[in-house]
Amino acid sequence: MIDIQNLTKRFGEKVAVNELNLQVPEGEFFCYLGPNGAGKTTTIKMLTSLVRPTSGQATVGGFDVQENPVEAKRLVGYIPDHPFLYDKLTGREFMRFVNGLYQIDPATFDQRCGELLEIFEVAHVADQLIENYSHGMRQKLSFASCFLHQPRIVIVDEPWVGLDPKNIRAVKQYLRDRTRDGLTVFMSTHSLSIAEEIADRIGIINRGRLLGTGTVAEIKALANNPGTLEDVFLELTQDDEPAELLSA
Amino acid sequence: MSQSVRTVGDPARQPAQIHETTTPKVAGGQLRALLWTKSRMTRHWIASVRNQSKLKVGFVSISAVVLWAGAFFFSLGIFFLFDRFGEQIFGDNGGVNITDVVLNRMLSVMALVIFMMLIVSNVLVSFATLYRAREVAYLIQAPLAPIVFFLGRFVECLSFSSWGLLFLGSPVMVAYGLQREVQPGFYIALLVLVVPFVTIPAAIGTTITIGIVRVFSGLKRPAIVAVALIAIVFLFLFFRGRGANPDLSQAETVQAIVAAMGQTQTALLPSHWFATAVLQAAVGHLGTTAFYGLVLLANALMAVLLASVAAHFWFYRGWTSLHAADEQRKPSSVKGGALGLIERLLAPVREPARSLIIKDLRMFWRDPAQWSQFLIFFGIMALYLANMRQSGGFFGEEPYRSWIAILNMAATMLILATLTTRFVFPLISLEGRRFWILGLAPLRIRSLVRQKFWLSVVLSSLFTVTLGLISGYRLELQAFELFLTLFGIGAATLALSGLAVGLGSLYPNFEEDNPSKITSGMGGTLNFILSLAFIIMVIVGQTFVVQWRRAAVESGGDPTMAVAIVLGALALATLFATLVPLRAGMRNLERTEF
Repeated sequence: MIDIQNLTKRFGEKVAVNELNLQVPEGEFFCYLGPNGAGKTTTIKMLTSLVRPTSGQATVGGFDVQENPVEAKRLVGYIPDHPFLYDKLTGREFMRFVNGLYQIDPATFDQRCGELLEIFEVAHVADQLIENYSHGMRQKLSFASCFLHQPRIVIVDEPWVGLDPKNIRAVKQYLRDRTRDGLTVFMSTHSLSIAEEIADRIGIINRGRLLGTGTVAEIKALANNPGTLEDVFLELTQDDEPAELLSA
Repeated sequence: MSQSVRTVGDPARQPAQIHETTTPKVAGGQLRALLWTKSRMTRHWIASVRNQSKLKVGFVSISAVVLWAGAFFFSLGIFFLFDRFGEQIFGDNGGVNITDVVLNRMLSVMALVIFMMLIVSNVLVSFATLYRAREVAYLIQAPLAPIVFFLGRFVECLSFSSWGLLFLGSPVMVAYGLQREVQPGFYIALLVLVVPFVTIPAAIGTTITIGIVRVFSGLKRPAIVAVALIAIVFLFLFFRGRGANPDLSQAETVQAIVAAMGQTQTALLPSHWFATAVLQAAVGHLGTTAFYGLVLLANALMAVLLASVAAHFWFYRGWTSLHAADEQRKPSSVKGGALGLIERLLAPVREPARSLIIKDLRMFWRDPAQWSQFLIFFGIMALYLANMRQSGGFFGEEPYRSWIAILNMAATMLILATLTTRFVFPLISLEGRRFWILGLAPLRIRSLVRQKFWLSVVLSSLFTVTLGLISGYRLELQAFELFLTLFGIGAATLALSGLAVGLGSLYPNFEEDNPSKITSGMGGTLNFILSLAFIIMVIVGQTFVVQWRRAAVESGGDPTMAVAIVLGALALATLFATLVPLRAGMRNLERTEF
C-alpha cells in the first residue's frame, strides 16, 4: 500500500532522509521510530506531498505522490502532531468543509459526520467555535475529520499530544480495529510502549537512515543486549547521541 | 471514545463514495467548499464583534466613518473649486472646457495610481496568503487540483488586498458624481466594474509573487539582496534623468501638466478602460461604457487564467523550495555579521531591554517577508531622491523651496506611518504566544512596552532624520527651515512610534502569527488613521509657521511669538500623541490575562 524506493531529501548539505527503502502492505500497523531530527517528519511530509523528494519515489495505493498527487491524496488521511484547524469555524462546519474538499456523497455525509463526532467524543462541542477547544479536543476533531472520507491509508505524526489516557487507549483501539478492516496505518511516535503494544512492524530511523524494520521481536533481536524495546532503541541510536549533544 | 457507537455504526466500515477524478463538477464543489468556509469564518468574525469592547468597536466605527466623510468632503471641495474657478486657474483655451479635461484626467491618474498600488499590495499579500499562511500546508495535502487551490487562495488575496483602497477611493468617486451631477449609470458602472478592475492587478501581483518565489526560493540570501540592490540602482538610474523641469510660463505649465496626465490615458492601460467606462456612464454613453466594461472583464478573466497557469506550473515547486530553504537556512553566528555588530553596539544597554532588542532584530532579519518590504520602501526612497535632485534647481527660490521642504517632510512621515503601522504595531501582538516566557521573566509589562517604543524611535530616526538631512542639503535650506524639517520629523518619529506601540498594546491580537493580518485589523486601521491625522496636523502647523514668518518678514514685523506658539502647540500635541496611547496600552496589557 505504501512503497518507498530510494527516497532521499537533502536540505542543502544536510541529508534529512537518505536512500530510504520501505514497504508497508495493506492492513498493516507500522510504527516509525527515531530520535528527534532523525527524519521521521520529513518522510511523512514526502508521503503527503508537503515536501518534494530530492530523489527516489514514494507511491501510496499505487499512485506516485509526485506524479499523481491528487489521486494519491484521495486515499490518504493525515493527522499531524499539531493539526491545523480553522479557529473561526465550529467543529461541525469544519467537518462540512472537509466533506467539500473530498466531495463525499452528500447523502452519506450527515450520517457519517454525526457518527465520527460521536466516536471521537466531540459531538457535544460540535457547534462551538474551534477557537474554544482544548488541544485534546482539537486532536480528536482532526481524527474525526481524517476518517470522514474513509481513507485507505492513515499517516499519523505523534498523535498522542494533548490526549488523556482514556482517549489514548480509545484511539489505539480504533486504529487497531480499522487495520483489521484493511486500513494501513503509518504512525510516527516517541511512545515506545505504545508502538510495542500495537505495531505489526516497527521501523527505526536515525540520521536519515533506516536502521531496520521488523516485528517487535525481530527488532529486539537486532540489539547486542536483549531487553525492552526502549533498551534496544537506545542501543541502536546511541552512537550518535554524544555527537548530537556536543553540537547542541 | 464511545465503543458502542463505534461497533454499531462505524462509518469507516462503509464503502467509499469519493469521486475518483477531478471533474469540473468536483473542482467546482471543492472551490465552493473553500469559499463557503471563508464566508462562514467571516460571519463568525463579524458576530464576535458583539463580544468585544463597545468602546473599542464604537471608536473604530466612528473613526472609519469620519475618515470616509473627511475624504468625501475634501474631494467634494476640490471638485467644487475646479468647477468654480477652473477658468481662472486654467485660463481661456479657445472654447475648450479645460476643467472637464483636467478633472477627467485626474480620475484617470487616480485609477492608475490605485491600479499600481493594488499590484504592489497584491505582491505582498499574495506572498502571505499563498506561501506563509498555516492553512496552505493543510490544503496542499488535500486532494485539490492546483487550479482549485489557487482560485480559493486568490479570492482571499483579492478581497484582503483591495478593500482598503476601495474604502478610500469610494468617497472620491461619490464626490465626483455629486459635484458633476452625473447620470445614475455612473454609480452602477462603478459598482459593477470595480470587480474586474481590482481583479487585474490582483492577478498580476499574484503572478509576480509566484514567479519571484519560483526563481528566488532556491537562491541564498546574499544573492537575493544583491539582486534587489541592483534593481534599486537600476530604477534610480532610470528615473534620475527624468522629470527635468525647464522654466515654464503658467500656461505652458498647465499644458505640460495636462499632457503628462494624458499619458495615463494610454489605450492599453486597464485603469484607462475603467476610468473611461465610468466617465462615459456619467454622461449617459452606456454603449461606450459597455464596450470598455467588457474589455475590462475579458482582460480580468484572461489575467486570472494566466495567473492560474503560472500557479499550476510554478506554485508547488516554489512552495516546497521555499520551505526547504527555511529548513537549510543557517542563522548568522552570534558574534558574526551585521547582527553581531549591532549586538556589540548594544552592550551599554541594560538587561533585559538589550536581550529583547536583540531578539526583535534577529526575528525581523530572519523573516524575509518583513525585510523584503523594507527593501521596497528603500527603493521608493531611491526614486524620491533621484527626482528631488532635479527639483532642487527648479524650486530653488522661495516660496517654492519651503513648500518642497514641507512636502518632502510629509512624504517622509507618510513612509514612516506605513512602516510603523506595518512593522511596529504588530510587535506586541507577536509576543502573545511567547508570554509563557515573557510573563514569567523578571520583567514588568511596562518595560516591555517601553522597549518596543524606544526600539521603534531609534530605528525610525536613523531613517527619517537621514532623509530630512538629505532633503535639507539638496534644497540648500537655511538654518531655521532645516530646524523646522527636523522638528517635524522628530515629532512624527516620537508620536507615530508611540501610537503604533500604544495602540498595538491596546488592541493586541494574540491569536494571529501573520503581521499583515494583525495590521489589517481594527487596531491597525485605527493606528494608520490617527498617524495620518497627526501628520496632517504637523504639516498644517508647519505651513502656518512658514507663511506667517514670510509675511512678517515682508511687512517688517516680528514672527517669533507666533512661531513659538505654533511650535509649542505641536510639541504638546506630540507629547499627547506619544504618551496617551502608550499609557493606555500599558494599562490594557497589565489587565490582560494570558
